[in-house]
Amino acid sequence: GPALGRSCHRQQSSGSGSGSASGSARPQPLEPSLLRFLVCPLSKRPLRYEESTNELINEELGIAYPIIDGIPNMVPEAARMTHKKPPAEGSEQP
Amino acid sequence: VRLWRCRCRALLSRPAGAVRARRGLAAGPEMHFGFQSVTEEERREKIYQVFENVAKKYDVMNDSMTLGIHRVWKDILMHKMNPCPGTLLLDVAGGTGDIAFRFINYVRSVRQRQLQRKLKHHQDLSWQEIFESYQKDKFNSLGDSQVVVCDINREMLKVGKQKAQHLGYSEGLSWVLGNAEELPFDDDKFDVYTIAFGIRNVTRIDLALQEAYRVLKPGGRFLCLEFSHVSNPLLSRLYDLYSFQVIPVLGEVIAGDWRSYQYLVESIRQFPPQEELKAMIEDAGFFKVDYENLNFGIVAIHSGFKL
Repeated sequence: GPALGRSCHRQQSSGSGSGSASGSARPQPLEPSLLRFLVCPLSKRPLRYEESTNELINEELGIAYPIIDGIPNMVPEAARMTHKKPPAEGSEQP
Repeated sequence: VRLWRCRCRALLSRPAGAVRARRGLAAGPEMHFGFQSVTEEERREKIYQVFENVAKKYDVMNDSMTLGIHRVWKDILMHKMNPCPGTLLLDVAGGTGDIAFRFINYVRSVRQRQLQRKLKHHQDLSWQEIFESYQKDKFNSLGDSQVVVCDINREMLKVGKQKAQHLGYSEGLSWVLGNAEELPFDDDKFDVYTIAFGIRNVTRIDLALQEAYRVLKPGGRFLCLEFSHVSNPLLSRLYDLYSFQVIPVLGEVIAGDWRSYQYLVESIRQFPPQEELKAMIEDAGFFKVDYENLNFGIVAIHSGFKL
């Protein structure tokens, strides 16, 4: 009935990032302690964690490294240029 | 089988120019992939493929090929490291997590002993004080030790992460996809850097060693566990026989992939021997570089310090 439909919709729109309790349904967040160590492999400069796209951003070079299944993908080949449109949420699931 | 023997003979008549490529230095476009000659780019791709293919069967194959002895080698590495709680470890090419899990077990048990000793010296505490000390230390069972596992291969990391979940490892452990030649870590960060059975697969070993030096703190230790060269001639022949006759067959039977294991045994032969690797480690800036042969040189642990 309509009540069931409404609750399903609410689940789908509950969004990204925080709390990976449901596992593969949502993008897993980055392990916070990693931010102490991680830098851009190319410039060795600090990165900014962008929660909305689940990426690590190097503002200076304008590149973003994806975090897939909670694992940051810190190779230049995986990075994208930040002036391009970020990928749609949920589309990066393997 | 006969084909492999012919390729062995072809290897012996290789031109001397291949030696530079063999050492994983900045050679020309020619590099080795096992006994094949390939470009640097091809080599990286092929090696990525090898580990993508074997990832799920990696642990099973390790046990079969080495008759379980690889576990002892890794235990010895951990005892040599002798980490104390609070140590920050970077395990490169650590894929399926063997070294990381051993590290966690080790510091956890050292920490346990520390806490027990502490408690023994406080025999006259009140129950309240004892309760509070348990609360405090419960959340510090690793004593702030941490291990970061870095690997270039997504499949290997996936297997490692699943194993960690399965075995209940979560605290103090993180996973990063990265290249040993171009590490995504800041300078002077880690107490120990390990690379176990991984450096052989790195295309530019000199770069990997430089990166290892960079990310270690002053006083930090570099440890490399890798297949090496057997000098004893009789043993060497038996080892060759086992490597070339048995291992690829095991690879086909267990993992359905003899080619990857053919690469493995060939890559061992191509890898620099103990003294040469020692020199390369020294070139990267490490001091007090030394090595310890295990099983007559089938495996060696190289160690160096950043001072």
